[in-house]
Amino acid sequence: MFYRLSGTYHTTYESDRKLWKIPADRWQVIAVLVLAVAAPFLVSPLYLGSYVLPWVIWSAAALSLTLLMGMAGQLHFGFAAVMAIGAYSSIHLVRFGVPFEIALILSGLIAAGIGTVFGAAALRVKGLYLVMATLAMQYLVDWVVVNVPAISGGAHATLRTPAVSFLFVDVSSLASRYWLALGWAVLLTLFFLNVKRTSFGRALVAIRDKDFAAAVIGVDPFRTKMMAFFTSSFMGGVTGAILAYCYYRAVTPEQFGFDVSIQLVAMVLVGGLGSVIGSYLGAGFVLLAPIFLTNFIAGMAGAGWIPVSQNFLSHLPLIIYGAMIIGFLLFEPLGLAKIYDNIRKYFLVWPFRHAKS
Amino acid sequence: MNRIRKTALSAVLAAGASFGLAAPMQAEEIKFGLLQDFTAVYTFVTGEYNQGQRDYLTLINEEGGVEGHTFTAIVRDTGNQPQRGIEAYNRAKEEGAILFDFLSTPVSAAILDQANADQRVVITPAHGRGDASDGTVFPYIFPAMATYWAQAANLIDHIKQHDGGLDGKKIAIVHIDSPFGREPLPILDELAGQEGFEYRAFPYASPGNEQSAAWSEVRRYRPDHVLIWGAGGGQAVSVRTAIQNGIAPEQIYSVIWLAETDAANVGPQMTGVKRFEASASGTDHPIIQRIQEKVIEPGKGAGDAANVGTSYYNLGVATMAISVEAARLALEDGGPLTGETLKAGFERVADYDAEGLMPAVTFSEQDHQGGGAGRVSQWDGSAWVPVSDWHAAFPEIVRAEIEESAAHYGSGN
Amino acid sequence: MAYFLELLINGALTGLMYSLAALGFVLIYKSAGVPNLAQGAVVMTAAYVVWIMVSSGVPLWIAIPAGMAVMFAFGLVVERLLLRRMVGQPVIMVVMLTLGLEILLRGLVPGLLGSTPRSLDLGIGFAPVILGDVFINRTYLVGGTIALLLVGASLLFFRTRIGTKLRAVSDDHVSSWAVGISVERAIGISWGLAGVTAVVAGVLWGSAQGVDWTLSMLLFPAVAVVILGGIDSIPGVLVGGILVGVLGSVIPGYLDSYVGGGTRDVVTSLIILLTIMVRPYGIFGREDIERI
Repeated sequence: MFYRLSGTYHTTYESDRKLWKIPADRWQVIAVLVLAVAAPFLVSPLYLGSYVLPWVIWSAAALSLTLLMGMAGQLHFGFAAVMAIGAYSSIHLVRFGVPFEIALILSGLIAAGIGTVFGAAALRVKGLYLVMATLAMQYLVDWVVVNVPAISGGAHATLRTPAVSFLFVDVSSLASRYWLALGWAVLLTLFFLNVKRTSFGRALVAIRDKDFAAAVIGVDPFRTKMMAFFTSSFMGGVTGAILAYCYYRAVTPEQFGFDVSIQLVAMVLVGGLGSVIGSYLGAGFVLLAPIFLTNFIAGMAGAGWIPVSQNFLSHLPLIIYGAMIIGFLLFEPLGLAKIYDNIRKYFLVWPFRHAKS
Repeated sequence: MNRIRKTALSAVLAAGASFGLAAPMQAEEIKFGLLQDFTAVYTFVTGEYNQGQRDYLTLINEEGGVEGHTFTAIVRDTGNQPQRGIEAYNRAKEEGAILFDFLSTPVSAAILDQANADQRVVITPAHGRGDASDGTVFPYIFPAMATYWAQAANLIDHIKQHDGGLDGKKIAIVHIDSPFGREPLPILDELAGQEGFEYRAFPYASPGNEQSAAWSEVRRYRPDHVLIWGAGGGQAVSVRTAIQNGIAPEQIYSVIWLAETDAANVGPQMTGVKRFEASASGTDHPIIQRIQEKVIEPGKGAGDAANVGTSYYNLGVATMAISVEAARLALEDGGPLTGETLKAGFERVADYDAEGLMPAVTFSEQDHQGGGAGRVSQWDGSAWVPVSDWHAAFPEIVRAEIEESAAHYGSGN
Repeated sequence: MAYFLELLINGALTGLMYSLAALGFVLIYKSAGVPNLAQGAVVMTAAYVVWIMVSSGVPLWIAIPAGMAVMFAFGLVVERLLLRRMVGQPVIMVVMLTLGLEILLRGLVPGLLGSTPRSLDLGIGFAPVILGDVFINRTYLVGGTIALLLVGASLLFFRTRIGTKLRAVSDDHVSSWAVGISVERAIGISWGLAGVTAVVAGVLWGSAQGVDWTLSMLLFPAVAVVILGGIDSIPGVLVGGILVGVLGSVIPGYLDSYVGGGTRDVVTSLIILLTIMVRPYGIFGREDIERI
C-alpha cells in the first residue's frame, strides 16, 4: 500500500548498500524529520517542553547506550553516571570560560575517559559481573558528586547552567533548545546508522556474538571493547550536557541517580537491543508511559471510576509500568523495534501476504 | 474482531485524551497543583501531608469558599523524578493552577527558575532551598515555614534556654549524608562561635537503615545533646541506635521529620525525645475540629480518618491555611486571581496563625519565610507536648545565612 | 581499641544480617543461574506479609511460619509464571525481568498496604550487650545469630536428598535431566526457599528500621556480599557478609567524620569493583571456564 513493493529487489550493489533501500522508507524518514524540525510550530509549548524535548534527548541517550549494549554486547548499568560526568564537566567548563561548542566536546571526552576506566572491568568479565561493576561505578560517581561541593555546586547541590550560545545562536528559548537537542539526536542517529557499515561496527558485532571467536578471526577484543566504551561514553557525556543545558537547566545529583540508569537500560531493552528506531520508541515508551498513566489514572479517579485510596492510586502507574516491562520481556523480547518491523513487513508486501519480504 | 479491538482502543485513547485535557475551566475555581512524591523518597510524609492539604481545601469549599471561589487540588505523583515533575507542572499550569507544592527537593530545584519566569507561586514548606526565603532573589518561591536553618537555630536556642547557656557544651549532629543532612552545618558553625559551644557532625550513609558505626563514635564523643537530621525510616533507626548507645531520649533533638509513625516504630522507649515543629499536632484545634465535623464525618475526607491530627496531616493543613489566606487577601484587592496577584496576596499576609495551629507568620517582599518561627515539642509516649513557645530563634543569623546563600544563587549558582 | 572492637563486632553482625538478604540470591543463582535483582523487593514483600498478619492480631510465632509458607508459594509462582519462560534468554533479559519485578512489587505492596513506615516489634529490647566499653547492638546480635543458624541449616539442607538434587541441578541441567531429576521442580524449590529466607531477613531488618519500601534497598549490600563471597557459594555468603559488614563499619567509623560524608557506599562499591577486577568469581565461587 505505502510501499508499492512486493519484496525487495536490488539489481546493483550500490542500491543494496543504501541506508534506506526502499523509497517509501526514505520518504517516511524525511517526513518524520520535517515534522520533528517543525515541531515548535506544530505543538504547544506544553507538549514541546514536557514531551517532545525530553523524548528527543533520552532517545539520544538510549542510542549512546545501545551502541554499547546492543552492538558491542557490553552491559552497562551505570550509564546515568556517565551522563552526569558530561553534564557537570560541561557546566564547569563553560563557567571556566570555555566556549560552549568546545565545552560540549571536552565534556564528552572527559566522560569517555572516565567511562573507559570503568569499562576496563569489561576486559576481565562479562554479563552479570559487568552489570555489577558498572553498578558500583554508578554509586561511586554519585558519591563523589554529592560529597564534593566544588562539583555539585555548594550547599544545595544545585548547579544552574550558564547562558550560552551555540554557533552564534542564543540557546535560551524553548525552540532553540529543542533544535539543538534534535540536531544532536540526528547526528547520533546518522552515526549509528553508518557505523554498522564500517569495520569498527562489524568488529563490535563480532565481539558481541563471541569475543573469543572474534579474536580468532583477527579482531582485537581489548582494543574493540575499549573503543566501544570510549565511543559510547563520549556520546553519553555529550547527551548529558545537552540534557543539562537544553532541558533541566539546573543540575542536581538526583537527575543522574541509579534509577535513571535503570530507566536507560529499560529504554534500550523495551525498544529493542541495537536498533535505532527501537531507541526512539523505547525512550518514548519508558519516559512517557508513566506520565500518561499518571494522567490517565488521575483522570479516571477524578471521574469517580476507580474508588481506591490516593496511596494506591499513586502507586498504580508504578505497578503498571513494572508489569509492562515484564510483559515486553515475556512476550516480545526483541522489543518495540520488532513490533514495528512486523508491521512494516506486513505492509511491505500487502496485499500479497504470502510473498516473501 | 480486529474492528472491535480498534474501536476499543480508540475509545480508550479518546478517554485518555479528554481526561488529560481536563474539564473546561469554571470561572470560580482556584486551582492548586499538589504534585508530590507518593512513591519514592518522601513516602513517609506525603500521604498524611497531602491528605491534610486536601481536607483543608474541602473544608473551605464546604464553608462556601473564599468570596464564592472554590478550591480544586490537582494531585499527581511525580515519583521524585524531575522530568515527571516538569511535565506535571507544565500540564497543571495549562489547566490554570496558580500555586504549586512539590514536596520534593529535586523537583522543586528543577522548576525554580521556570516558576519565577512563569509567575507561578511555589510553596516549599519544610523542603527545598532555604535561601528561597529571600524574596528579592526568588520572587515567586515561598518556603512559607521555618527553613532548616531556622529549625537548627530553634533547637539550639531551646538547648540554651533549657541548660541556661551553651558555654562549653558539646553537641553532636548525626545526619544523613545528603545536601539536606548537611544543610544545618553552616548555622551551627555560626552559632558555635557566638555561643561558645563545640559541635561535631557525624554523617551516616543514605538511607540510614544501619547507623551503628556513626553512633559508636558519637558515644565516645560524649555529647551533652544530639541533633538528628534525617527523614523516613532512618529517623527511627537514629533514635533507636542512640538509646542503645546510652544516650538518654531527653538528649535527642530532631529536625521536623519525626512523627507519630516513627514513635510507633521505635516503641515506648522514645518517650522524652524532642523535635522541632512548625505546626501543632493533635485534633484539639478549631480548624481540625471543623475538618472533623464538616469533612470527615460526612465522609468527604481524602483518606484514612485515623490520620487526622497527626503531625504531618496538620502540617499539610497549615500549608494550605497560609495559601488560602493569601488567596483571600489577593481577592480582597479585587481583580482576577493570578500567580502575580497571589504572590502579592502572600506578601500581605501578616500575623496569621491559622487559629493557633501554627506560629503567626508575616511575609514581606523580602521575607518569604514568614519569620521562621517554630517550637520544640516532646514525645510523652502518646502525643507531642510543646515544651517551648512559638518563637523565631537567632533570626538575624538565619537571615544572614539566607541572604548570603541567595546572593550566591543570584550570581549564577 | 574498644572502639575498634565495637566497630568490628557490630559490623560483623550487621554483615551477617546482610547475608540473610544475600542468601536468597545465592540459592536462586546456584540452582537456576538467574541473578535475582528483585531479592530486595522480595524481602520487603515478606516483611509486609508478616506485618499485615501481626497487625491484624496474629501472634508473631504463628505469623512468621505462616509468612514463610506464603513466601514459599510466592517464590514458586514467580518462578513458574515469569522465570521459566525466560530459560535460554540472554542474561540481560533475565536481569531486566527481575528489575521489572522489583518495580512491580515496589508499587504493588506499599500501594496496597500503605507506604508510611510500619513498626514490627520482635520484643528483642533496646539495652545493648555491654562488654567493658564495647556496646553490642542487641537486635544485630539476635539477627547475626539467626543468620549463622540459617546459613548453617542451608549447608545441612544441601546434604539431604532434595539438597543433593539441587546441587546436581546447579552442576548441570542437562545431565540432571538425564538421570531423572526434575530440574523445573528443583529450581522452583530454590525460589521458594529464597522466599523463606526473605521472611527472616525482612522480619529482622523490619524490626530494626521499620517496614517500608526502603527494605528493597538491601539489594545493594547483598550484591556486594554475593560478589565477594562467590555468587554460587553458601559459605561464601557467610564470609562475604562478615567482610562486607566489617569493612563497611570499621572504615566509615574512622573516616566518616573527617571526610564529612558517609563512606559506607563507597566501601561497598570498591569491594564490588576490586573483587571483580582481582577475582571475579569471589572467594569461594566456582570459576567458569568458557568454551568457544
